[in-house]
Amino acid sequence: MFTNTRKTALLRPRLGMVSRRDALFGGGMGLGAVALSAMTSPKGPHHKARAKNCIFLLMEGGPSHIDTFDPKPKLDALHMTKFQKERTKFEANMNTGERYYVKSPFTFKRAGKLGVEMNSLFENFAECADDICFYRGLRAESVNHPTALYHLNTGNQFGGDPAVGSWVTYGLGSENKNLPSFVVLPDTAFPQGGAANWSNGFLPAEFQGTPLRAAGAPVLDMAPPAGVTAERQRAVMDLMGALNKGHQQQHPEHAELAARIASYELAFRMQAEMPKVLEIEKESKATLEMYGIGGSNKDTDAVGRRCLLARRMVEAGVRFVQVIVMGWDSHDYIEKAHSARMRAIDKPIAALLKDLKQRGLLDDTLVVWSGEFGRSPDNGIRAGGQAWGRDHNATAMSTWLAGGGVKRGAIVGATDETGLQGVEAVHPIKDFHVTLLHLLGLDDAKLRYLHAGREKQLSQVGGEIIREILA
Amino acid sequence: MRILALAAAAVSVHGALDVLSALKRDCFGCHGEGQVLSKLDLRSREAMLKGGARGPAIVPGNAEASLLLAAIEGRKGLQMPPGAKPSAELVAAVREWINGGAVWTAWKEDYKSEDLWAFRQPKPRDKAKTVDAFLGVSTAKADKRTLIRRVTIDLTGLPPTQKEIDEFVKDNSKDAWARLVDRLLASPRYGERWARHWLDVVRYADTNGYSNDFERPNAWRYRDYVIRAFNEDKPYNRFILEQVAGDELFPGNPEALIATGFLRAGPWEHTGMSVEAVTRQMFLDDVTHATAATFLGLTLGCAKCHDHKFDPLPTKDYYRMQAVFATTEFARPKLPFLPTENSSDLAYGKSLLQKVSDDVKTKMERMAPGYQQGRGTLPPDQFEEYKLYQKHNALHKESLDRYEPKAFAVSSGPRNGETDGGANMRYPKRAEYKPADVHVLPGGNIQAPAEKVSPGVLSLLERYGGYPSPVVPETVEGRRAVLANWIANEKNPLTARVMANRIWQYHFGKGLAADANNFGKMGAKPSNPELLDWLASELVESGWSVKAVHRKILNSQAYQAARSEGRRVEAEVLRDSILFVAGELSEERGGPGVFPDINEDVARQPLHRMGSLSPVYRPDALKRIRNRRTIYTFQQRSLVDPMVEVFNGASMDLSCDRRDAATVPTQAFALFNSQFAHDMALAMGARVSNVSELFVRVLGRAPRADELRSATATYRKLLAQHTAAAPAPRAAARPVVHSITSELTGEQHKFTHPESPAAYEHNLHPSEVTPKARALGDIALALINSNEFVYVY
Repeated sequence: MFTNTRKTALLRPRLGMVSRRDALFGGGMGLGAVALSAMTSPKGPHHKARAKNCIFLLMEGGPSHIDTFDPKPKLDALHMTKFQKERTKFEANMNTGERYYVKSPFTFKRAGKLGVEMNSLFENFAECADDICFYRGLRAESVNHPTALYHLNTGNQFGGDPAVGSWVTYGLGSENKNLPSFVVLPDTAFPQGGAANWSNGFLPAEFQGTPLRAAGAPVLDMAPPAGVTAERQRAVMDLMGALNKGHQQQHPEHAELAARIASYELAFRMQAEMPKVLEIEKESKATLEMYGIGGSNKDTDAVGRRCLLARRMVEAGVRFVQVIVMGWDSHDYIEKAHSARMRAIDKPIAALLKDLKQRGLLDDTLVVWSGEFGRSPDNGIRAGGQAWGRDHNATAMSTWLAGGGVKRGAIVGATDETGLQGVEAVHPIKDFHVTLLHLLGLDDAKLRYLHAGREKQLSQVGGEIIREILA
Repeated sequence: MRILALAAAAVSVHGALDVLSALKRDCFGCHGEGQVLSKLDLRSREAMLKGGARGPAIVPGNAEASLLLAAIEGRKGLQMPPGAKPSAELVAAVREWINGGAVWTAWKEDYKSEDLWAFRQPKPRDKAKTVDAFLGVSTAKADKRTLIRRVTIDLTGLPPTQKEIDEFVKDNSKDAWARLVDRLLASPRYGERWARHWLDVVRYADTNGYSNDFERPNAWRYRDYVIRAFNEDKPYNRFILEQVAGDELFPGNPEALIATGFLRAGPWEHTGMSVEAVTRQMFLDDVTHATAATFLGLTLGCAKCHDHKFDPLPTKDYYRMQAVFATTEFARPKLPFLPTENSSDLAYGKSLLQKVSDDVKTKMERMAPGYQQGRGTLPPDQFEEYKLYQKHNALHKESLDRYEPKAFAVSSGPRNGETDGGANMRYPKRAEYKPADVHVLPGGNIQAPAEKVSPGVLSLLERYGGYPSPVVPETVEGRRAVLANWIANEKNPLTARVMANRIWQYHFGKGLAADANNFGKMGAKPSNPELLDWLASELVESGWSVKAVHRKILNSQAYQAARSEGRRVEAEVLRDSILFVAGELSEERGGPGVFPDINEDVARQPLHRMGSLSPVYRPDALKRIRNRRTIYTFQQRSLVDPMVEVFNGASMDLSCDRRDAATVPTQAFALFNSQFAHDMALAMGARVSNVSELFVRVLGRAPRADELRSATATYRKLLAQHTAAAPAPRAAARPVVHSITSELTGEQHKFTHPESPAAYEHNLHPSEVTPKARALGDIALALINSNEFVYVY
């Protein structure tokens, strides 16, 4: 009942504590076991999984593919020439008015055996190029942040549907019942569209993403208010257990009562286990340094911590971890802002990949990096023409994947010569979702949930696997 | 021919579907199924285009050049079908269909009769029957104590007091139960409880959602309207008419105008980054889905992209219904507060928010004088901070409107100068307004419109229930009025069934038809269709009285039977009950949303608001305001009270037709560890003098001997601990510091949020009470966490 499939010494539950709780609540192991199995519904994969876990690095705001992983030298020649494109009524206000092509302010260098071009600021990440499948064919549908984020995170531009992580944990169940199976590590602020980005939607509540806030308790109210001693908690819990026992005797056929009693047990096991996963200070100095945490690593500390936590979570059996890095919405001053963002992620993401690899976890873990859309090759004249940036672009973007089941050292798909549109291996978001599920052993067409009389699925209406990126 | 039986107007409404079913019935026998005479196969559009010995059967867009029309009209030496002359209606329908592009719908009329039950007319009922006559089984009655708790929570959302329990238990008169039911139905708490069910279905919220999550500042008037409607037992048909078309049907009636807030209840946002045509389409899809799900129990989602696979809902019907809303525009007209509305705290609330708003403006003016008005300069290093104030200023501007006498409503065509679409939405002047055409959008794709449609209603009720489809005018005004009357009609086979089922479901935890929002094939079939129809008829025949249906149900033996399984109370009932038993509940009613005490980490969490951060969450300073019932709390799409969320509160984005009651460990954290639970427990501890009183307060009964023993023992142990260790004094409030990763620099910027302008009226703190009160508070905590408190039987 309490075994986690991945046997790390760190997280093996302390059986002594478990039996203590059972004694406390008077429920007994039998009842607790029944209740817990009713609370989670591990179904297992539909086919052999290529990856068991997923770390989704979400770059909120829409990083510029042109300035990161898909450089467009053609823009140097077109710089400040008028941008010509037929304007339709399907254009946001943002993209109207007089517009000009804008060259990238950055330099690029080739990395890995393949010689993939990337921004020179990716000094550390460049070393991982041979493990990465760069994908340049993904196509979003909305140029509006919240709807595009909902689309990428839930498959539906309207908020309210289950997140990818919810579907995955619904499909695969939990590897460690003492921890939430879908964890979100937000930036300092919750993203646009808020918690609906990791909502369980119409799936049962246990599949909701648990956000670990940058400040405060890792899980809400995991600890009592200041000043409440463990002794006091124990006494109150004992009394509650006694009352519940009497109540249960009066309602012997009410099975849910046992589930609720068991939920308190589970909560307190989580209370014991969660802080251990969060103890990143226990990592070696070298590891902390590799992730860019502490010391002189001012720029990388925050993302480094989230990336290291992601590794520790996956190691502990958390199924789906989403790391959010905000600040990519560079309509203006892209040189300064994107530089800072790239510096902030370079060391941490490289460390995450190398660390997973050296621990033998990369084969089992799918790592995905993506924004909600790409950016435009053109810009309006703002701030006196001195503040080059790029607006939103749903028709071209860069993503990359690494780990379980994807090609290593590959470029899939292409955008046109200005980076305006994807032209090769172009796939919609739903195909991306179907592919992620496929790699995790799940078939989108089978991973369904009946809601309001309709069989719903992540892709909404079905999609294709992006075969080009599979190993 | 069934086609002939249909009224002329109906044929034009049904268009392609009727053509295709006529072809199937009259033509396929010779042209496709079994034999293919003249080499002509009529079974698909492709085959028709290919044609037979004489050439293509159809020329899409040109009926007169199409052999198919010639054949049924008896021209060009043809006469089909042999020996029969098709009706003029059918000929006209074929002509219209070909001229409209000969759109072939994949829809096939192969529905099983049992899947169409909800669309057929109910049989006349035996009025003299009772609920129990349908259920047949007589089960043991629950004891009176269980019964009063069950019905009190069911109807009012709060537990009965010990006094109420004792009185009922002692009352042996024959009509004791019926009087109890009447008393509860007459309580204003009834509306607060049952309006919440309705708000679940319509997805009520006080904010727009998405990126900025701007307040919809007058939405609270709709919430209070719903509460009033339930309390007054507003006839349900009138309730529908007002919500769907109150502005058109009852011009000048303020209640009816407020009611149209229903049409805008879904999430909605338009910014400079959204595409206007897309935003509009999202609204049209939303309002079409919401109207069908709420009143008709139909899930139209599928028909947005393609003909519904399971129900007779062709895409064309979906867009016809959508065309009803094509002239529906947002409006926020002036509307004086009503005597039935609570406006007592408006001046107080406004003065506080105005102060916050003024402070922000002052800061902006100090940083860059005149910049907001287009003068002066702003040093780049201050821009991030300035942007935060700009954002707060924009948010405050909307929020301040909650105190203004305006309605969150709609109008048919824009009202001059009173439109309400946000800064980026362009509204034409009313005189220049032209209704937008509505087209079928295959795959839901707005960029590839197909056939144009005229407004109409769903054809399935005429097809299967003989309930005629009215003609919906193409004028700016009057479309919704027709739709509303079509829904709120006793002949509509769905309307009363859907509502009767919802009422049953909230009483029993499960509907007679288990999917309250889906009466189609994929919805669960009713367990007792005769009873459902009987209750639906009761609703209609009682003059659409919801309370009449309550009485029929509640006075049945079925409702009063002993139940082996309990139900965990919903999130709102739990929070309200805790406040209530703690003696902290404020029963002030109505008015703008209030801000309760919520988890501090959540309150302090920075939230991205398109390019900047939201203001910080501050609970209302005064207890009498923040401790009101949960239905009055501000419903913010981007910031949900975790106490509500964790106990499976309703989504504000998806229609919630039934609450999930899943048990998850985070509920244990919320109820056992949260500041709210501890504060309420302490308030209780300070109000009682012994352990027994706590049992009476929380559980409505004295403790049994064994319970008293263990509770007393625990109390003594805790009292010793509390006596030995004095609690630390109340900690000073920590400043709220937020940081954001700037889009302009990619670097972190920090802001310290200003203090609230109102002095917070603190909850009781352990340092302010005796050790005895603290120890009793701990016992209270155990009691509110107990299964007996959270389950109702």
